[in-house]
Amino acid sequence: MEWAAESLQKVAASRRARLGQPAPQPDSVQSAALLKKYHPDYLGREREVEVGANAGEQKFPLELAQLLEGDSPIDADYVPHPEIETDVLIIGGGGAGAAAALTLDGSGLSVHLATKLRLGDSNTVMAEGGIQSALGDDDSPRRHFADAMVGGHGDNDPDLLRILCEQGPESIRWLSQLGCLFDQNEDGRFRLRGGGGTSVPRVLACRDYTGLEIMRVLKDAVRLSAAQILEEHVAMELVDDGKGQTTGAVLFDRNAGRMVCVSARAVILATGGSGQIRLQGFPTSNHVGATGDGLVLAYRQGCRLVHLDSYQYHPSGVCYPQALVGQLVTEAIRSMGAQVVNAAGAHFIDAMVYRDVLTAAVIKETAQGRGVKTPHGKVGVWLDTPMVDLKNGAGTLSRRFPGLTHRFGRYDIDPARQPILIYPTLHYQNGGVRVDSECRTDVVGLWACGEVTGGLHGKNRLMGNSLLDITVFGRRSAQSVLRNIPKRGAVTLNRLRQFRSQQKKIKSATVSPIFFPAASGMKLNPAPVQEQRASETAADVADTDTDTDADDREPPNPFNF
Amino acid sequence: MTTKTTVEIKISGEAIQAQRGETILHALWAAGMAERVKAGCDGGVCGACTVTLRYSDGRAAGTELACMKSVEDGMEVFPCAVEEDAAVAPVVNPQLPALQAAFPTLDRCTKCGSCTAACPMSIPVMDSVLRMQAGELAAVAEDFTTCIHCGLCRFVCEDKVKPHNMGLWVRRSLGMSRNFVAAKTQDAAEQEWQYLLADDRELRLQRARHFRQSGGIAP
Repeated sequence: MEWAAESLQKVAASRRARLGQPAPQPDSVQSAALLKKYHPDYLGREREVEVGANAGEQKFPLELAQLLEGDSPIDADYVPHPEIETDVLIIGGGGAGAAAALTLDGSGLSVHLATKLRLGDSNTVMAEGGIQSALGDDDSPRRHFADAMVGGHGDNDPDLLRILCEQGPESIRWLSQLGCLFDQNEDGRFRLRGGGGTSVPRVLACRDYTGLEIMRVLKDAVRLSAAQILEEHVAMELVDDGKGQTTGAVLFDRNAGRMVCVSARAVILATGGSGQIRLQGFPTSNHVGATGDGLVLAYRQGCRLVHLDSYQYHPSGVCYPQALVGQLVTEAIRSMGAQVVNAAGAHFIDAMVYRDVLTAAVIKETAQGRGVKTPHGKVGVWLDTPMVDLKNGAGTLSRRFPGLTHRFGRYDIDPARQPILIYPTLHYQNGGVRVDSECRTDVVGLWACGEVTGGLHGKNRLMGNSLLDITVFGRRSAQSVLRNIPKRGAVTLNRLRQFRSQQKKIKSATVSPIFFPAASGMKLNPAPVQEQRASETAADVADTDTDTDADDREPPNPFNF
Repeated sequence: MTTKTTVEIKISGEAIQAQRGETILHALWAAGMAERVKAGCDGGVCGACTVTLRYSDGRAAGTELACMKSVEDGMEVFPCAVEEDAAVAPVVNPQLPALQAAFPTLDRCTKCGSCTAACPMSIPVMDSVLRMQAGELAAVAEDFTTCIHCGLCRFVCEDKVKPHNMGLWVRRSLGMSRNFVAAKTQDAAEQEWQYLLADDRELRLQRARHFRQSGGIAP
C-alpha cells in the first residue's frame, strides 16, 4: 500500500496519543444535522409509486420504486397448474426460512422450502458481529428494547420490538440446543460484547463468523428434517385463490430451465433484503440473491410496505483492496477499540455512535477532502485496527477476528499491524413488508419474516438484532401458520391480473423482480425447446389417466422477457 | 511506470480479458459467463463458487473460491462445484466411537495432506482429522470454527474421508451438550413494559432514552 504510505505514517504517529483521548461525540443536534446533509436516506433520492397498495402514500428509493411499478416476467397467457402440492411453502433459504422450516418439522404439515440459490446462501451466513440477547447481569429485555427504540429513532413497531427483546434469551437457548457454539468466557458463561447503541454488553458471537455458525447449524438441521428443499428454484410470482388469498407460487427451476407451480395452504415469505439493487450506486455487503424479490411479489398481492425509505449503510465496508470492496468489516472490531480516523490521522468521531450517524460522518469526511484515495479511484477513511491489540493485548485481533485476518491476509494486509480503508456499504433493508405480531401480512395465507419485513427496526437497526430477528420471527411465523393455516384454495393469477390492469396505465418498461444483480448478467434461462418437448412427452405418458385437453395446456416457458 | 489494467485468464480453456484487481467471479460476470460458476454470498463464506486453478508461473495448481481470489495474468480457471453430502445427525456428549460410527471412513485417512492444501480457509484439516482419530473433539471443534462447508476437503480426498461433515458434526454435538443457563426471572418487568410502551411516539422515545441510560424507570 505504497500509495497510502504518507497517510499511514500519520495514522501510526497519532495512534498512541489517540488511545487515551476522549472520542469526539456529536450531540443529538449535530447528529441530526450530519444525517440530513450526508446520509444517503436524506438526499431526496426517492419518490412515491403510482400503483399498488402504497400508491401515493409514501416514498421509496428511486431504484426500488421502479421495481415496484414493474411488470411480471410471466406471460399474460400463462395458466398456473400446480405440480407440487404442499401445506406450507417457505420462500427463502436463509436463516429466517430455515428457522421456520425447523419449527414446522414434526407438526404433521408438509413443508417445501424454495431458494433461488442453495440452502444457506444468504445474508445470514455473512453476518459477522453477533446476535443480541439480554443475558447480562445488568441487562433486561426492557433495556434491550430501549436501546433498539432509541437506535431506530423511535420508529420501531413497539409490539414487534417487545417480542424480539423478550424472545432473546429463549432464542439463544434454541440455537444452543441445535448446536451453535457461541463464544464463552473462562467461567463458562457467554461472552457478551457491546455494539453500537447498546447501553450494556449484550452481543453474543462466534468469533467474527456468527452468521456462518448459525446458518451452518440451521442448514444441517433442515437437511435432517422432513422438509423438501427446492434449491435453485426462483420464486417468480405468488398465486392466489381468485379472491385474494395467497395459495402458492410459480417457481422457476434453474436446473431444469422451466416453471413449476406450487399449491400451498400457507406461504412464508423469507426472501431477505435488497442490497444488490445498489441504491445510488453504493457497493453492498449483501449476498448475490438480495434483490428485493419478496417486496415485489408481496406488493403485487396487495401487501403494504413500510419504512422502505430507510436503508442501512454500514459505516465500515471495505474500500481497499478492490476485490473486497463493499464487504463488511464487523462493528465488533470498533467495540474492541478500533477508531475511525481520517487521512491526517485525526480521530473525527466516536466509532461507537449509531451506524447511520457514523456513516454520515464518514461520507462528510471524504466529501470534504479528508479521505484517502485508492489506486482504483475510491475514497475512504481508516479503521485503525492495530488499536485492538494495543488496547487488549497482542494477539487479540487475530484470535477474536479470524475472518477479518484471513480475508485481508490474502492481500498481504495484516489488520493487526496496519489500518483498513473503509467506506459505507449498503447493508440492510430497514423497512419491508408490513406484518402483525404473528408475522401475518395484509393478505390471508401469506406470512413474512426476517429482513423482508419492515417495522421492527425502525429506521436504523442495531448490530446483532438481525440474527435475533430471523431466529425469533422465523420461528414465530411458523407457529402462527400452525395455528391459523387456511384450507387449500384454488390457484390463479388473479391478483397479478389486477395489478397489471393498474400497472398498464403507467409507462414502465421495467420487468421485476430482477432476481440477480444487474452486474452478474445472470437470468432465468429456459431450457432449449427440444428438451422441453421431451419432458412434456414423458409427462404425457405418465399422465395417461387424466383427461386434460391438450389444447388447454400452457406453453412450457412463457416469458415476456 | 505503467501497469496494464487488464489481464488474460482462461475459463475451461476459453480466454477472457479481466480487470486487474477484480475477483475471478466478477471477471466471469463481466464476460457474460456467470452460469459457469455458482455464486452465493460473493463474500467468501458460503462456499458456492469453488474452482480449481492453474498458474502460468509454475506455482502448484490448487483450489479456490472464485469470489475471493483476484485474477492473475495467465491463470486458468476450472469450475469445480461440490455436491452436498447427506447430513448426519449429531449426538449429545459425543465420544470417538460415536464419531467413528457416524463416519466410517474416518480411519481411512492416509495423511496425504490434500485436504489441508485444498482448504480456502487455511484450516489445518489433516491435522484435525488426526485429532478426530485421537478423540480430541474440543480441539477439532476449534479447528473448524471458520469452516464454510465448501466441501473441497472431501472433494479432493481419495479415501472418501469427509472432514467438513465431521467437523460440523463434532461442533454441533458439543454445542448440544453444553448446559444452557436460563436467564434469571426479572422483577418489575410488567411495570417497566408499561412505562416503555407509552402510546405517544415522542414520550416512548424519551422514556427509552431515559431507560437505556439509567437501566430502569426511576429518575
